[in-house]
Amino acid sequence: MTYESQKVAIKYFVISAVFFGLQVILGLLLAAKYVWPDPLIGLLPFNTARAIHTNLLVVWLLFGFMGGAYYIVPEESGTELYSTKLANLQFWLLLIGGLVAVIGFLFGWTAGRPLLELPVELKWAIVVIALIFIFNIFMTMIRTKKWTAIQGMLLGGIVMLAVMWLFGIPFFKNLTLDYYYWWWVVHLWVEGAFELIAAAIMAFVLLKLTGVERQVIEKWLYIEVGLVLITGIIGTGHHYYWIGTPEYWLWWGGIFSAMEPLPILFMVFDTLNHVRHRKLEVKNRLALYWAVGCAIFHFIGAGVWGVIHTLPQVNRWTHGTQVTTSHGHMAFFGAYAMLVLTIVYFALPRLKGLEQFNQKKGFWAFWITTTSMMVMGLAFGAAGLIQSYFQRGLGIDFLTVQGFMRPWIIGVFYTGIAFLIGTLVYVLDVIGLATKESS
Amino acid sequence: MEKKAARNFFIWGTVICSAVFIWLTIDTHSTIPKRTNTDKLTDEVVMGKRVWHKYNCNDCHTILGIGAYYAPDMTKVYSSRGDTWLKQFLKNPDSPDPHRRKMPNQKLTDDEINKLIAFLKWVDAIDTNQWPPKPITVAKITGAPLEETAQILKGKNVYNQNRCDLCHRIGGQGGVIGPDLSHIGAKRDTSWLAQLIKNPKSINPVTQMPAYPQLSEDEVQALVSFLAGLK
Ligand code: HEM
Ligand code: HEM
Ligand SMILES: [Fe+2]
Repeated sequence: MTYESQKVAIKYFVISAVFFGLQVILGLLLAAKYVWPDPLIGLLPFNTARAIHTNLLVVWLLFGFMGGAYYIVPEESGTELYSTKLANLQFWLLLIGGLVAVIGFLFGWTAGRPLLELPVELKWAIVVIALIFIFNIFMTMIRTKKWTAIQGMLLGGIVMLAVMWLFGIPFFKNLTLDYYYWWWVVHLWVEGAFELIAAAIMAFVLLKLTGVERQVIEKWLYIEVGLVLITGIIGTGHHYYWIGTPEYWLWWGGIFSAMEPLPILFMVFDTLNHVRHRKLEVKNRLALYWAVGCAIFHFIGAGVWGVIHTLPQVNRWTHGTQVTTSHGHMAFFGAYAMLVLTIVYFALPRLKGLEQFNQKKGFWAFWITTTSMMVMGLAFGAAGLIQSYFQRGLGIDFLTVQGFMRPWIIGVFYTGIAFLIGTLVYVLDVIGLATKESS
Repeated sequence: MEKKAARNFFIWGTVICSAVFIWLTIDTHSTIPKRTNTDKLTDEVVMGKRVWHKYNCNDCHTILGIGAYYAPDMTKVYSSRGDTWLKQFLKNPDSPDPHRRKMPNQKLTDDEINKLIAFLKWVDAIDTNQWPPKPITVAKITGAPLEETAQILKGKNVYNQNRCDLCHRIGGQGGVIGPDLSHIGAKRDTSWLAQLIKNPKSINPVTQMPAYPQLSEDEVQALVSFLAGLK
């Protein structure tokens, strides 16, 4: 750490970790509702619990990205943050917004659209928070003389994130158009804006960890993100096969989205390459593990698990089954949860001025969460294959097929417990590091 | 490739693809009126959509295949169940089977139910490029007669309205607690069936099946004709 103002990142990281823990607890609850009769049905029915599970996910990722940005930008720009006060204010607004949202869901205050359940008032509040954030980041960046590609990509990702969000705000009378623009938020976030932010954060971490030349890293950054957007923007069409939109989307969506794994594969190669040609001795092996693991799991979850059901011939049968759940979990975890954990394990010890720190808990968290998420993803996937075959293929009744899938969802539940243990180790580790006296 | 070339690739690639995407979006908009029958998108349908959002139905059910996977897809529910069944079900979705996954009673008003059904009816007619797909093998497992007489149709309605399918299956559709009725007509005659429906315990004292004293004699006869036809 070189700049005092980078320290605001610490509280972002802590809340990110705590919300992660809560999100996973809600996930277990969802799996239990699949398997056993639901005693909580009156208090916390499945739909409410699911809204909390997914919204907490988005919020803790945002806390992680924002903390990461507040750490990275001063260092890249070579200056203190434009305003620590604004960064603090923005933290509290986001925290309060998140809590109000969760409590609101419990009382049925919802917009009732999957993943975009936030009521319209809170959606606008998020816009205000985003504007404060972008303003602060931008004002810091323009203080510098050298515009780095990492900064540009980060800013671009954040702005794209905010712009796409706007399409999730209006009420649509027509369900087809509703979903058309719903995907401008959901798809163009995870396969667009988030990828920009992830690529920028990863490039920064690799640059610092390995000491590879900036020229090389930034060149790859442009190529990869270029490919992400070239394939991913028109690739939105893989969600436009069956929602009432024209048939030509089967071609546009199928062909472009089938190329989406390409840049993700490049990221794996080039991460491994940078590590192999490192110029520095890596002291923070833990951060390196998370970074490399993230690249690989990103490729498996998003690239491989995404591409297998992206062609219309396959998607016709798997659309809206547990195959989607399997992919959703592996991709979000591999690409973005692991990304946040990478930047936290990279930045937090530095923020506390720790040259050395005990990495044991971090390694436990690494192996437990990655292994159990892999198994959980496979269990969801097995359930999804059964569902696609019996329900869509043979036309057997929905709930009857749910019975056939039950053993696999029980598997999800138990691997979910293992995952929760890994998560709790992480949460405790972050709290421990954050509250340590600086040396 | 030099860094500058890489940057140009990034910028121009993004610009061109965004332009194509916007062009496709504009074209898609022009097809929406026909593909989704916007002339039938009445105020009532829109209010039905608002009810759909108000109760957050979409976080248990998919519709057009999007949403949560906890409960059945709603895209074609109108054509597969029909008005009467839906009204009945939405009023009271409770199931007598404690092990069956439950839909909580949303305590919808009649007005809300009507609007929801209008919405589902409109959704049913959207041109989805033939999704959900027709099952590969529509197993021919029921021996239902090809000609449905008025009596049989009425019986089928009684079957649906009283939600016998919560426990019983016909041709793979329905619950698993009770026996499969796909070929019940081959095994039992009408008087046996009528007695079972009126008083199941008189045939099997330990049966879990509830009695249906609320059915009129007429309804029982219709139901029995329907069941007896499943050979
Ligand atoms: C890190 C990147 C990604 C994340 C976090 C992610 C996440 C998700 C999530 C959460 C859904 C479900 C949305 C819903 O209906 O609720 C989804 C759907 C889908 N994703 Fe991804 N995804 C990523 C990348 C990809 C890629 C690269 C591909 C293809 C090559 C892909 C293909 C698909 C397809 C085809 C669906 C639709 C599934 C269906 O029809 O039900 N995804 N993704
Ligand atoms: C103990 C761990 C977890 C369990 C048991 C679990 C379980 C579930 C269940 C049952 C659903 C609902 C599926 C449905 O709609 O019917 C769900 C949704 C979801 N969960 Fe989790 N979850 C866990 C952890 C996570 C983690 C760590 C992430 C992200 C990193 C995540 C991301 C999601 C997403 C994105 C959805 C929406 C999926 C979609 O639309 O396809 N979950 N989860
Ligand atoms: Fe997508």
